[in-house]
Amino acid sequence: MDITAPTIILTLVWGVAIGCVYILLATGLNIIFGVMKLVNFAHGQLLMIGAYLTWTITYSAGLNAYAAIILSMLVVACIGVAVERLTFRRILGGDKLNEIFVSLGLIYIFENAAMLIWGANSKQIVSPLAGLSLALPSISITYDRIVAVFVVIVTLIAFGLLIQKTKIGLAMRATSQRNSTAMLMGINVETIYMLTFAIGSALAAVAGGLYGIIFSFDYQVGAIPTIIAFAIIILGGLGSIKGAIIGGLLYGIVEQLATLFFGGVWGSAVAFAMLIVVLIIRPNGIFGEKGE
Amino acid sequence: MQKKLLAVIVVIIIVVAIVAAIQLSMSPAPSADARDIMIGLVAPISGSPVGQDMERAARMAVQEINDAGGIHVSSWNTNVNITLVIADTINDAPTNAVAPVTRAVETDKVDLLIGGYGSAGTLANEIVAIENKVPFIITGASNELVTRRGPQGNYGGFGANGANSVSDSDGMSYMFHYCTTTYHYSKTVVDFFANEMKPMVAPDRNFSLAILYRNDAFGQGVEQAVKFWIQDENLPITLVADRNYDPTTTNYQTDLTAVATTNPDAVLVVDNPDKSPLIIKQGWNDVGLKTVYIVIENNQDQAFYDLIGSTGDGQLLESRFNPFMDPSYSTAVQAYVEKFDQLYPHTMPGMMGADTYDAFFIAKAAIESAGTIDKVAVRDAIETTNMDQSLIPTQSGKIEFSTGVNYHEILPLTFVEQLKWDEATSHLTSQIVWTPNSNSDLKQADFTLPTGYEPGQ
Repeated sequence: MDITAPTIILTLVWGVAIGCVYILLATGLNIIFGVMKLVNFAHGQLLMIGAYLTWTITYSAGLNAYAAIILSMLVVACIGVAVERLTFRRILGGDKLNEIFVSLGLIYIFENAAMLIWGANSKQIVSPLAGLSLALPSISITYDRIVAVFVVIVTLIAFGLLIQKTKIGLAMRATSQRNSTAMLMGINVETIYMLTFAIGSALAAVAGGLYGIIFSFDYQVGAIPTIIAFAIIILGGLGSIKGAIIGGLLYGIVEQLATLFFGGVWGSAVAFAMLIVVLIIRPNGIFGEKGE
Repeated sequence: MQKKLLAVIVVIIIVVAIVAAIQLSMSPAPSADARDIMIGLVAPISGSPVGQDMERAARMAVQEINDAGGIHVSSWNTNVNITLVIADTINDAPTNAVAPVTRAVETDKVDLLIGGYGSAGTLANEIVAIENKVPFIITGASNELVTRRGPQGNYGGFGANGANSVSDSDGMSYMFHYCTTTYHYSKTVVDFFANEMKPMVAPDRNFSLAILYRNDAFGQGVEQAVKFWIQDENLPITLVADRNYDPTTTNYQTDLTAVATTNPDAVLVVDNPDKSPLIIKQGWNDVGLKTVYIVIENNQDQAFYDLIGSTGDGQLLESRFNPFMDPSYSTAVQAYVEKFDQLYPHTMPGMMGADTYDAFFIAKAAIESAGTIDKVAVRDAIETTNMDQSLIPTQSGKIEFSTGVNYHEILPLTFVEQLKWDEATSHLTSQIVWTPNSNSDLKQADFTLPTGYEPGQ
């Protein structure tokens, strides 16, 4: 195998592209954990639903796939609200095992429902940019991947502005720091929880739509990204959005470089080994606070 | 004169009637032991579209046989129907694949088993059939160990203490493999590259082949088989890349980037129909690896055609059963597809379903030849099967299992198809461009290099 500079650059591009999808998923998981202190193992299934909804809207309405992602995001946000109100709200603050088992149950419900509705065969969302590439010296990058990075950047900027510049964001930050005090200050914590879950679900839906354009997916697609998203938020630091971004990029790049040099089966192994090394050096993650 | 003629005719009629009555009275009555023949279908019905295809094919075969009068069992002096017993192996994982077969054999007391999907699941559940000496016509599972793991197959080369080896040669004699094996179709692939494609792109050097395969028993089996044939037949092929990946991934760009650095003339992709198209699309479109990709026969599936789209134009598929060609290359296949469509509208039949369908007729012929449902006699009858080929072409044109002390396999005829994108209909079609048997009349067109193809080095 002849490793050249263009080969390395291309590999870095693949790492950044997949890392961006992981970032969105991890960010959604992070804000849910940060604000609600809730561990949701069914978060990847929201990615799966987002992918299927984007596919359905694209094909049935003939919409541009990227426009379909926006609609899918709204629907999945509503699903997130329903899930939060009907399941997690009733057990929040109780035994953590309850949260785990509820989310495991949701995994089975979502996956089986998806299989019944859309079948077991894999699908892929075809975007208007399918097959088109930007030709650069020695390498070419598909426009879908460029758009994916752009969409993630825009989404994260919008999310950042929401958190930092709006009253809702302020309320979310207050609730994440101490929900009892937030309540005393007049913040409707239950409404904040609902909004947080909706936003986290919407981010998962965007990740799902992008994933479905770049890769194929089926009803079981959510499992592995969920594990990776958890790894990223631990790597970056629980509750840290900056950490999720850096962690996602780092994970994606390390995974792809390991694949290039050692083979595909080593990608995840090396990436998780990096996680272990980081946690040994910084037990709270790269940007984690003590006590998380 | 007329009266005499009339009298003669009446006498003849009376004599014939008396003779017929005597004959009927001499025919033995059906035996009191006569009952339906219980055939167990072993397939992952609730967990796999392929399993569902096998069930549809099985039910169609059973309905046809029963509607035509069933199976004649001479020892019972009557025809009897088939009752299908479903042994649903769910997802065919070894942990799920054994109990349904145990139930079929020990509780339902099936007379014969047909099916088997994946190699790992079949290697696990055929132990039940081996121990209970139940004839099992295995219509899936490309690993040849399913019939070669015993003494008569030299334990598949792994020795008597191999992890999958079975010492019971008598029990193994009840196993019959009606399916291509990894070694069968891998040979077709490398022979195609050596004999057909090499003269076109690499007349003065070895053909550069890359393999990209899923890291499980299936992928590893094909990789080993390809290496075996290249060495065994001393083929002018150099394996320039030999990479595997986690079966759960859908991100192949980096592996394809690494393959691209080796400048292959072709890439053999070993995965299932939901993943292979993605690999080819990422290779051709994302990485710029504009080469010939070949996939193997398990990709003869609507999902493959739907997912690969126009990127499939010019690419190759090794196969032994294609229900999508219209007109078909085989009248038997055409008839099967039409019957299938009548019974299951808008559902295309698959390859393992076709194997399964044939297997029911093999079983029927064997039981009728044996004249009994005694398992030893049925086994012996399957062993001496000599039917005309049906949905699966064979090298001799006959369905024959190797006999004597050897393992029981057929010698299928596999072929290479080239896909073509039809702009007018936005669909992929295919034509057979190569068969291992140069005398075969299956070939429909010459192989051509895909538009935009870049030869390796």
